[in-house]
Amino acid sequence: MSGLFALFQDLPTLLWSGLVSGCLYGLGALGLVMVFKSSRVVNFAHGNLAGLAAFLVYGFSSGVLLNLSWGSAVALSLGLTCLVGVLAYAVIAPLVFKSDLTSTIATLGIGLILQGTIQIVFGAEIVSLELPIPSFGFGVGGLRITAYDLTVLAVTILMIGSLFFVIERTKLGIAFRAVCSNPFASRVCGLNLRLVHLFSWVSGAVLGLVAALLIVPTTFLSSTTVASFMLTAFTAAVVGGFSSLPGAAVGGILVGVAMNLFSFYVSPEFMNTFLLGVIMLTLNFFPDGLLEKAVGGRV
Amino acid sequence: MAIIHAEAAPETRGALVASGINLSFGGIDVLKGVDLDLRPGLVTGLIGPNGAGKTSLFNCLTGLYHPNRGRIALGDTALDVLSPARRAGLGMVRSFQHMALSPDLTLLENVMTGLTLSRRSGWGSAFLPMPRGRAETQDARRRAMAALDELGIAGAADLAPPELPPGTQRLGEIARALVGGPKVLLLDEPAAGLNAVETRDLTRALRRVMHPALIMVVVEHDMDLIMQLCDQIYVLNFGKVIACGSPEAVQADPEVLRVYLGAGDE
Amino acid sequence: MAVSELVHPEGAIRSPARAVPDLRKWLAALVVAVLAVLPMLSGSFLLYSLSLCFANAIAVLSVSVLVRYGGEVSIGHSFFVALGAYTVAVMEKHLGLGLWISLPVALLMGFAAGLLFAVPSRRMSGIYLAVASMALALSLPELLIHMERWTGGFEGLYISRDLLPGVAKAGQRYYFALAALILVCLAMAHFRGSRQGMALLLARAHPRAAEAFGITRSWARISVFALSATLASLSGAVVAFASSTVSPNSFTLWSGIFYLVGSVVSLQGTSLLAALVGGGIITLVPQYLAGAGDYVPILYGSALLIVTLLANSGSGLRRLLPGKGA
Repeated sequence: MSGLFALFQDLPTLLWSGLVSGCLYGLGALGLVMVFKSSRVVNFAHGNLAGLAAFLVYGFSSGVLLNLSWGSAVALSLGLTCLVGVLAYAVIAPLVFKSDLTSTIATLGIGLILQGTIQIVFGAEIVSLELPIPSFGFGVGGLRITAYDLTVLAVTILMIGSLFFVIERTKLGIAFRAVCSNPFASRVCGLNLRLVHLFSWVSGAVLGLVAALLIVPTTFLSSTTVASFMLTAFTAAVVGGFSSLPGAAVGGILVGVAMNLFSFYVSPEFMNTFLLGVIMLTLNFFPDGLLEKAVGGRV
Repeated sequence: MAIIHAEAAPETRGALVASGINLSFGGIDVLKGVDLDLRPGLVTGLIGPNGAGKTSLFNCLTGLYHPNRGRIALGDTALDVLSPARRAGLGMVRSFQHMALSPDLTLLENVMTGLTLSRRSGWGSAFLPMPRGRAETQDARRRAMAALDELGIAGAADLAPPELPPGTQRLGEIARALVGGPKVLLLDEPAAGLNAVETRDLTRALRRVMHPALIMVVVEHDMDLIMQLCDQIYVLNFGKVIACGSPEAVQADPEVLRVYLGAGDE
Repeated sequence: MAVSELVHPEGAIRSPARAVPDLRKWLAALVVAVLAVLPMLSGSFLLYSLSLCFANAIAVLSVSVLVRYGGEVSIGHSFFVALGAYTVAVMEKHLGLGLWISLPVALLMGFAAGLLFAVPSRRMSGIYLAVASMALALSLPELLIHMERWTGGFEGLYISRDLLPGVAKAGQRYYFALAALILVCLAMAHFRGSRQGMALLLARAHPRAAEAFGITRSWARISVFALSATLASLSGAVVAFASSTVSPNSFTLWSGIFYLVGSVVSLQGTSLLAALVGGGIITLVPQYLAGAGDYVPILYGSALLIVTLLANSGSGLRRLLPGKGA
């Protein structure tokens, strides 16, 4: 009985920290899904771009490239990341709506180029990148909640809120929804397809940057940590059905919690294998995502 | 309009019979109790204005859709739940409205894929030049060449489909469908994308390959092709058969005239 | 007769199309001849690099088979390559068995793993398969490292048994790799004209038409994946024998992506020359440009983009060419 209790006494902490990291996977997945929904391209460069963004913030704030304050470093990196996102889209624009094969290969190419750039500019070093937030925490019923946790939640809510505001309330958002439901009809209607694509690619880049900045303090930043983060975001997107925005967010949280539970109760060493299992099981039994019925495919 | 059932007479043996086909999508009835009786040796046309349900009916025959109610049988075999691949195993083949030849294979090789189900060579002879596999490939090549020859396009055997005019590609598709000696040939708008000369050649070629054991079904907009090719015609409107009979009888049917002329007025 | 008039340019098209394969055949024969006598002329480092190059050429070819016959892309083929390599290494280390026995076992393992991966994913669309293959590649190193008892962990394992005792080591590694590559290419050339090969090509271009002739999508997906995984596993066995060592570092997500790079650069060809080009680029470029190591990803990434963009504009050009008017 006490053994059983011991087994579950860590559960609230695991769920809470899973929720926090899951928010970030959700942000990563949202970027993938926005690009996929509007341009039918699975962006394999997403993680590399997010990694580059985090490295840029590090480079601009640490003196490796520049010695700016954290805020200006983020602003400058944000600008550069969006620019890279736009360039990446410009390069593969002729391949959009061609076969899955072609666009997958092209985004892999962009990912390799970004990866090489990181290696050349920053080398293979492992760096740490902290957030400028006070380190305080308080306990709620055995649960320890830190400033970091609250920051992540607040930023996630802010990001998702503004994204949904843009999509639901602005002209650009209407165009985005039209393109997602039928790219060819909306082209006939005179909507600017390229503008909508750019919107989704830039949003993806911004979401990637935010997620990377927030996730780095919990681990560290190296040119290879990105791949694991990318896989987690992909898994979240698959769990959410790959073309549902709410699905991606909820999928991220589910995957975050599941990973925490798996690593605590089973093994922390087989994380990627666990994600492989999640992907295969989801695709086999719920090809439209775990949340297809609960959330629906629409925005 | 009289409906003749499969059991009625001995010459109906091996007929493709559909009875009481109902099909609906999202609450909208596309087919409402359609009956068909397609006998060996006859070419049957399915016509009707746009949205009449002829393509849906065709897809029920090919196995792409499964009717909500009603039965489809080929001879004594019920087809209701069989997939297109399983129907192929029973000798039902089809052509496609959009050209569906592989651009990576020559025309002859495309026709040889029509023999896939009847070929037995295993994976061993896929990688190694074993005598049995070789003999089988030779035989398939010969039969495919004969099929091309019968349709008058043997000269194009070694060319890739993208190099060929649409008429030749269409005949190639029909050769691929016929090469295995099918019982049923289903043609989905065979004249789509063809010019008048190509359509005329196609009609002649189809008449030439027709034989007493074959059931041929054509969905088509081109009335010249339908009238020259078909022995019997089913006219559909709003998911129902409104007329059935010989081309002459159907052309004279007042209901058919009303539908076609009425549709033109709107 | 009317129809044969329509195809009258056949003579003009057919003769150059026949001349080109002839030229290629001669070129391939020449390359084989040069490669066969090379060990008598050159140093052992070149032989070692070339053996690896042949092994990687088979891996590249396994990806090309998947792309060409399945229309699918995998970035996780490093998994199947590692499976073959570790089968050879583990069987020598723990069972004391040589390549004569472990090679067929490696092929079987690759085949089984291909089936195991393809059966659950038989209905996935291409993009999901690519995502799943990425997970496959990322899970591999952690499996290898944490099954240390069998795999030797980070350090990996050594392979020291000879295929033919008494024959010089460098020589037998080189010729074994070369022979494996040539045999695979011959088998693939034969496969192109086989019942299964043609059925897969039809299924790739028009799945619904293939279905109408009894070729189901799941059969196509499972067959092509099992074939591709078997070839990848064979390549792993050759890598293990030719380099006499296996370690998790050789089989990362990057290796999986590099096999795809090799395949794309060789235009998914399954001929000997195409495989050599693909294998050469991913083996020799990092070796001979060691000083420019950090530039390799950029180089490969640019190659992927350039080939894809050119191929795309090429097909656009073909559409604009006269002679196909309706």
